[in-house]
Amino acid sequence: MRRLGLPLGRVPDEALLAGMATGDPEIALAFVRRFQRMVFGIAIAVVDDPQLAEDIAQQTFERAWRHAQVYDTRRGSVRTWLGTIAHNLAVDAVRARRATPVSPEDLDALLGVVNRTPEQWALADEAAARMRAAVAELPREQARAVVMAGIYGMTARQISEFEGIPLGTAKTRIRTAMGKLRTVLGPERADHD
Amino acid sequence: MTDRDCERLRAVAEELALGILPGHERAEAIAHMDRCPACREHVERLTLVGDGLLALLPGSEPPAGFETRVTDVLGLNRSARRWQPRAVVSVTAAAVIALGFGFGGWAVRTAVEGPAAPPSRSAGATGSEHGLLEASLLAPDHHPVGRIFAYPGSPGWVYMSVDLGHDGPGSGSRGGDGYPGAGKVSCRLERTDGTSLRVGTFSLDDSGRGHWGAPARVAPDTVSGATLLAADGSVLATAHFDVPRNQ
Ligand SMILES: [Zn+2]
Repeated sequence: MRRLGLPLGRVPDEALLAGMATGDPEIALAFVRRFQRMVFGIAIAVVDDPQLAEDIAQQTFERAWRHAQVYDTRRGSVRTWLGTIAHNLAVDAVRARRATPVSPEDLDALLGVVNRTPEQWALADEAAARMRAAVAELPREQARAVVMAGIYGMTARQISEFEGIPLGTAKTRIRTAMGKLRTVLGPERADHD
Repeated sequence: MTDRDCERLRAVAEELALGILPGHERAEAIAHMDRCPACREHVERLTLVGDGLLALLPGSEPPAGFETRVTDVLGLNRSARRWQPRAVVSVTAAAVIALGFGFGGWAVRTAVEGPAAPPSRSAGATGSEHGLLEASLLAPDHHPVGRIFAYPGSPGWVYMSVDLGHDGPGSGSRGGDGYPGAGKVSCRLERTDGTSLRVGTFSLDDSGRGHWGAPARVAPDTVSGATLLAADGSVLATAHFDVPRNQ
């Protein structure tokens, strides 16, 4: 006899997180499998070093496991939460290592990637598609600024030095770009589902 | 707070939301947000833009063996589990309540362990047989205030996320005013035979939010739902597991 229920692959993210916290090895494995591409993808994009990216990805899951209690369903999905953890760790690692977090070539490459719409991104949902289109429509200098700030974690001062522009201009580019991207967000998030 | 304070905040809101605002400016901005719900909401919204940017990064497969290294580090390796002592599965109400210090404490306790089960051997309700029950928690006025998950594996567990402070449509205020009994709440599993079992107590924050989980025996044949109770025993929300009772 078999109870009806969700097969592991269809268990919601937050329940998988809760299950991992009970110490269930199978659920932990399923959790890692579900998110490792996303987590490693963020880490490698920011640090551009496979070994360091793997360390960061590993630390991300450790943190998720240890801090499952601060996961806040209201702040966003488990996916977003994990992505934020990975991103924070990656930005911290880069800040500790290099004065300038990105080379001009890497920045151009990443901008290309962010604007493209590869078919293999099965997870690209409608919101992501809208966001990607909005980034693609930004004037080049604003797109650069928002990617440097939002992905590489560069401060406005670092961006101004990198681009050879006044600090105020860097700030304005970030603000203007964010203002445009903000309009593609849907209405205020309703109940978590 | 003054309009001028808000103006100053708005001038750095994007940088704050992206986590790139330098130390002292950041501290000042956060202090303002603590006092100013409108600015806080503005920054939260911008934070979603940052999240959206991250979501544009393509996934990338980590090096082979990554998942095993992670589960090793967490002590959650399936083969390692074999050598762990056959711990008693905590299924009695008393044991569960003793663990009822919230999801946090529970999360770091991995002592609750099912019977050792080598992966090569069929071990009953494991593997693809995992069936998770899930339901919305509905307040008496039927609006959703959270979710509950109940997992009938070994160890079984229950997990609840609650947000009583949910603003009604059109309400701009956020807040922890006026929810009777918000604070200490408890989770009670309801059975099809009309009996029930209180499986744990936990705390909600000022705005009526919280989540909690604990090991518990979940018999999918007999569990029908759950109730979230206030400290005074009044019903804050109910959930019904929609499980077809065939077979
Ligand atoms: Zn304000």
